[in-house]
Amino acid sequence: MNRLNKNIKLVFFIFCCLFISLIVYLTYFTVYEREKLIQSSYNRRLWEQEEKVVRGTIYDVKGRPLAKTQFEGETKERIYLGGEAFGPVIGYSNRRLGRAGLEDVLNTSLLGLEEKDPIVVLRQKILGAEERGNDAYLTVDQELQKKAYNLFKGKRGALAAIDPNTGAILALVSSPGYDSAKLEGIWDSLLDDPNKPLINRATQGVYPPGSSFKIVTLAAALTHNPDIEQKIYDTPGYVKVDGRVIKDHEGVKPGNYDLLNAFRVSSNSVFIKIGLDVGWNNMVSTAENFGFNKSMKADLPVAISKFPQPSLFGTDVELAEASIGQGKILATPLQMARVAAVVANGGNLISPYIVEKIVTPLGTIREASNHQTVEAINWAVAEKIRGFMTDVVRNGTGKPVYIKGIEVAGKTGSAQNPHGEPHAWFVGFAPAKNPKIALAVVVENAGAGGKNAGPIAREIFIQYLKDTQ
Amino acid sequence: MELKTQAIYNKTLSITALIGILASLLLSFQKSVFSPVPVYGSIAFAVIMFIGYFMTNYFLYGQDSALYILACFVSQLGLTMLYRINPQIFLKQITWFCLGVLIFIFVSILARFWIDVDVGSTFFFGVTVLMLILPLLIGVERGGSKSWIQFHDHLFQPSELAKITFGLFLAKTLEDGKVKNWWLFAIQILSILGVLMASRDLGAVMLFYLTAVIVVFVATSRWDFLAIASGAAVVGGLLGYLTFGHVRVRIEAWLNPWKDVPGKGYQIVQSLFAMAQGGFFGTGLGMGHPEYIPAVTTDFIFSAIFEEFGFLGAAAVIVVYFLMVYRGIKISISVENSYLSLAALSITTMFGFQIITIIGGVTKLIPLTGVTLPFMSYGGSSMVMSFASLAILNGIWLKGRGDENGEPIE
Repeated sequence: MNRLNKNIKLVFFIFCCLFISLIVYLTYFTVYEREKLIQSSYNRRLWEQEEKVVRGTIYDVKGRPLAKTQFEGETKERIYLGGEAFGPVIGYSNRRLGRAGLEDVLNTSLLGLEEKDPIVVLRQKILGAEERGNDAYLTVDQELQKKAYNLFKGKRGALAAIDPNTGAILALVSSPGYDSAKLEGIWDSLLDDPNKPLINRATQGVYPPGSSFKIVTLAAALTHNPDIEQKIYDTPGYVKVDGRVIKDHEGVKPGNYDLLNAFRVSSNSVFIKIGLDVGWNNMVSTAENFGFNKSMKADLPVAISKFPQPSLFGTDVELAEASIGQGKILATPLQMARVAAVVANGGNLISPYIVEKIVTPLGTIREASNHQTVEAINWAVAEKIRGFMTDVVRNGTGKPVYIKGIEVAGKTGSAQNPHGEPHAWFVGFAPAKNPKIALAVVVENAGAGGKNAGPIAREIFIQYLKDTQ
Repeated sequence: MELKTQAIYNKTLSITALIGILASLLLSFQKSVFSPVPVYGSIAFAVIMFIGYFMTNYFLYGQDSALYILACFVSQLGLTMLYRINPQIFLKQITWFCLGVLIFIFVSILARFWIDVDVGSTFFFGVTVLMLILPLLIGVERGGSKSWIQFHDHLFQPSELAKITFGLFLAKTLEDGKVKNWWLFAIQILSILGVLMASRDLGAVMLFYLTAVIVVFVATSRWDFLAIASGAAVVGGLLGYLTFGHVRVRIEAWLNPWKDVPGKGYQIVQSLFAMAQGGFFGTGLGMGHPEYIPAVTTDFIFSAIFEEFGFLGAAAVIVVYFLMVYRGIKISISVENSYLSLAALSITTMFGFQIITIIGGVTKLIPLTGVTLPFMSYGGSSMVMSFASLAILNGIWLKGRGDENGEPIE
């Protein structure tokens, strides 16, 4: 009998474990699985909600609507006013085609689904305000965005312009774009288009940054070899690393170069020597300080920019190529704009953001999440690079960006790639002292950076600085 | 019974009635047109509940009232949810509840006096097999398994009764702490499982097998048997997966329902959406969309509870079921007679595993098999037989007390 009761107690113990594991599992489910399921596009409850709620409006920085929901009689219609320039940024929300861009990222906000505070929900019910979702105000300027998009006409490429002090995104262009308003009609041709207009190149496009990456190499050298400025490099116009010959661009004469001159003419051979002197670990840590190899929070999903890690079989060739922005290194235009911003604001890595604030129907304002900045390089190093970059535009490869009356700092790049002509890069900021805008421009397969990407940057600097004055 | 305990029971019962009336008022006002049906319903429920309580306490002095009160609580929650989903079946379910209470009183008395009448294990085996074979011969198919019998307009599931007789069969066979004839016993168990398999009732196969294994182990204390039985379960599961299409569908829908959301994964995914919508506090009664879940009145009632009452409500339901299992185990330990002890254990084990199976199933913790959630799911057989199971536990408890005190019960 005793044995029997002992066994029954064992059974009870098993039941205890089973019931507890049920509750533990349900807790796990509610805490971790829940959000994902609520957002699933299979979820009929979400459509139901969308039917009931008037989706919020998306405004640009000056309060001009970019996407809004209008009533035509009884039916609701989402209309997009941004045109092709805004397609890849704003995206779309369409029951048949799904969601993309900010319409996807801000979905819960625009539908007002995130008010979990029961008091707020109740208050909205009482005030009869539950019909509307929240409005989103962006940091982007519609005119600047459209101007930039038009400068790309007929070219593939991207532009990212940010406020170097705050990280607010001023323009985010991907060319070719698409008009969200005409999506239903052109969907199939968009899918088949070899230029892939549905991809936001500014945040999702990863390119070798080419010589524009020399800003980071320069920062690593100035940080880790303080006496490098006194050094003179004698170059024959090429450099041999582990048997591999890497040449300078045409127009870079063999001879003696100090750091400033090498940066001005963008000498590959000199910068490879500098990179090798700095060494793998210092290069990796500096690149990571600038935001490489880390995910970036920018409201929109951003592809991770990569700087190669030293591996067991890694050769010096890899490091040599990486020092001049070639080989296994990849960067998004937004990341390169961030690199420019680090120099512009005196050494701090900012987190870009595009949503300025969310405004509820009751008028409550939610500021965009806190934007943290971390020191990437020290102030003195940043000031030196600022001088170097100013010199590039005044006397070097960046001359096409020169603006009378406004001092611009920048660095060009012509990134070799397997798809044909080099990608043209310009990375810079203006005005050089007290900068208000930092940007990165890439034009795919266009050739030399200064000549092809430079003019686009120049127009944007002029337009933006004229506006802010 | 102590006065203090009595007071707690009375209070609990009153609160249950109050909750029901409040919930029904809420439901009455929710539709744009005021409907008094739920209020009448909840008052009818409370009346039945109180009358049943007083009657059981009168006829069955010294009964384990907790069983009845807990059962009423979950029944009421189920009823509220059923009205919210489909007012038509609400009235039917109240009838079933009423019948369940009558059965509870009747079976309790029956069990109190005649549970130990020695009819032999073969009798219980015969009844079990009969109950399981009947639907195969003259039954109709519902929801993929052929385990229903149609009588006029009503559907019955005899396998619900078989759960009880199967428990008594196990208890009788193992009453001496050993199996006299292993071969016969094995053939009996396998034939029962075979019949269940033939009616494609996977959930029942699992429940009957698990219960048998647990009860045999408890009675015999043989670890070697437990090991062999677990091995057989694994082999059987694998064979089932490989040979039966419907077993494979269930397992695949469990492993990755997202592969085929409109098809195989539909049920479970809808259930998960409902639960996700509920979150910790639930959407509130009448504010969710349980109608999106297929079979929500029967197998998936728990998901509806989770959606509208949230994690907290669902956890409360789980705790209430756990308390029932606890009472069952306690009764099983409290009686001296090994037959009664094993009978109580079999019924409790079956009941407990049924709850784990269906709640685990609809929440995607384990593969989904169609069994009902006792007292909550819509359906007469389930409601009545769940009450009958509790009544047998109650009768065993009364019997144990009566024998202990050596006094007859008037």
